[in-house]
Amino acid sequence: MGFFDVLTGRRKLKQPAPTDRVFAMSTAAVTLQLELELTTAGKAGIVFQPLATADFEGIVRDMEEVVRGTGEETGTRVSSEDDAFGYRWLVLSDPDVEDLVVGINACSTALEAGGYGDRILCAVFAFSDAKGGKVYWIYNYKRGAFYPFVPAKGSQQRDNERELRLKAQIGSELPVEAEFERWFPLWGIPI
Amino acid sequence: MARPTSFGRDTGLQVRMTLTMFLLGLLYVGFVVTMIAVGVNALLIVLIAGGLAAFQLFGSDNLALRAMGARTVEPHEAPEFHAMIERLCIQADLPKPKVAIANTRMPNAFAIGRSPKNATVCATTGIIDLLSPAELEGVMAHELTHVQNRDVLVMTLASFFATIAAYIMQFGLFFGGGGSGDDDDGPSVLVLFAVSFVVYVVSFVLMQALSRYREFSADRGAALMTGRPSALASALVKISGGMQRIPAKDLRAQGELAAFYIFPPGAGKKLGSFFSTHPPMEKRIAALERLEGQLQGR
Repeated sequence: MGFFDVLTGRRKLKQPAPTDRVFAMSTAAVTLQLELELTTAGKAGIVFQPLATADFEGIVRDMEEVVRGTGEETGTRVSSEDDAFGYRWLVLSDPDVEDLVVGINACSTALEAGGYGDRILCAVFAFSDAKGGKVYWIYNYKRGAFYPFVPAKGSQQRDNERELRLKAQIGSELPVEAEFERWFPLWGIPI
Repeated sequence: MARPTSFGRDTGLQVRMTLTMFLLGLLYVGFVVTMIAVGVNALLIVLIAGGLAAFQLFGSDNLALRAMGARTVEPHEAPEFHAMIERLCIQADLPKPKVAIANTRMPNAFAIGRSPKNATVCATTGIIDLLSPAELEGVMAHELTHVQNRDVLVMTLASFFATIAAYIMQFGLFFGGGGSGDDDDGPSVLVLFAVSFVVYVVSFVLMQALSRYREFSADRGAALMTGRPSALASALVKISGGMQRIPAKDLRAQGELAAFYIFPPGAGKKLGSFFSTHPPMEKRIAALERLEGQLQGR
């Protein structure tokens, strides 16, 4: 945002970063499984703001249709739900991470094509460790970067140590968000 | 093939805001030239005012919070409020500001801090109780837009020379007397005094206008961020009702903070709109209705 934009208070929502970065997850998932013993939970979700405009629900329906259509070949299942904060989740279930990534990308592409790309917050990929604990990798569309999110026991606690370790372990295989103050938690992830 | 969108565009507002700032700049250049021409310790005055402005920008955040009776809260103390702000920050691509809550029944919210990395957003317990989640989200998006637009910094800089003019009016004779010691010092001090007076009055009106324009653009930014202009509009209606019902004695004392409130204390009174920091409620709601129209009718 430029100096003049600050002066005149001009505001535009940031559009999603080029989406090819989300595909880094399909190769990183192999490393996660082989070296870190994090297996996919078979689920991924994309979260966006539903708008109350006439064409928005239609675009969302079309998007779900597209993913369902391709899902018939790959076996991906789709469901959607609204969370307590008024955001819409589209949850994909598929044991194959690569299919999940393709499905998530199809969703974001459909929203962008409909002109609502700036309403997408994140995509979330769920993994579970050897003890059955949940580990999430969150892809922030505005920043075009991943960050780990590990909820801990207790209400709204997160395991920062584990998250930092994950960042070090994954190395350069994923584009990881460099600014820690942008590792926003997402509570109540429905996957 | 994203569709062309007019949502959130308001060229007229940007033109008016630029014009106001241009006039302020022009006024201040004239003021500085006069100070140099008169040559009475202008440097000293600028240094003092600069120091005060720097203190205001760099040191006064905690003071302002304490004056409001607000304290920063950790995520586990107000989990839903934090989560709401976190999601707005993702959407607006902002680093997360500090989050504070003031324990007062008066419904209000404000943002302070010179830059997005040093910002604090605050809501009162009154506003959290009064508004529905979507309305509160609109209000906090308004405050986050203030943060993103760096309104504290812009207004502090815009008021810099006005502050100097005010000092000169108060201490003009004192500073003038310490000048070169020439005998013909007298008339130049009078000129400086008169110019300061004019600068003070004109810049006051211009700055109030600027503040109103920045309120409009914060409303617009909030509507863009949440995609729900009408939620903010209904929040404004609820808050203005609440503001008139509940007396505002504590907060009214904090005059210089008023510009950053979502809704200024005491705004229920019939003030000349020319002299107020916030636009009238009806105009803000009308602007939000236009935004909702742009959103729906694209």
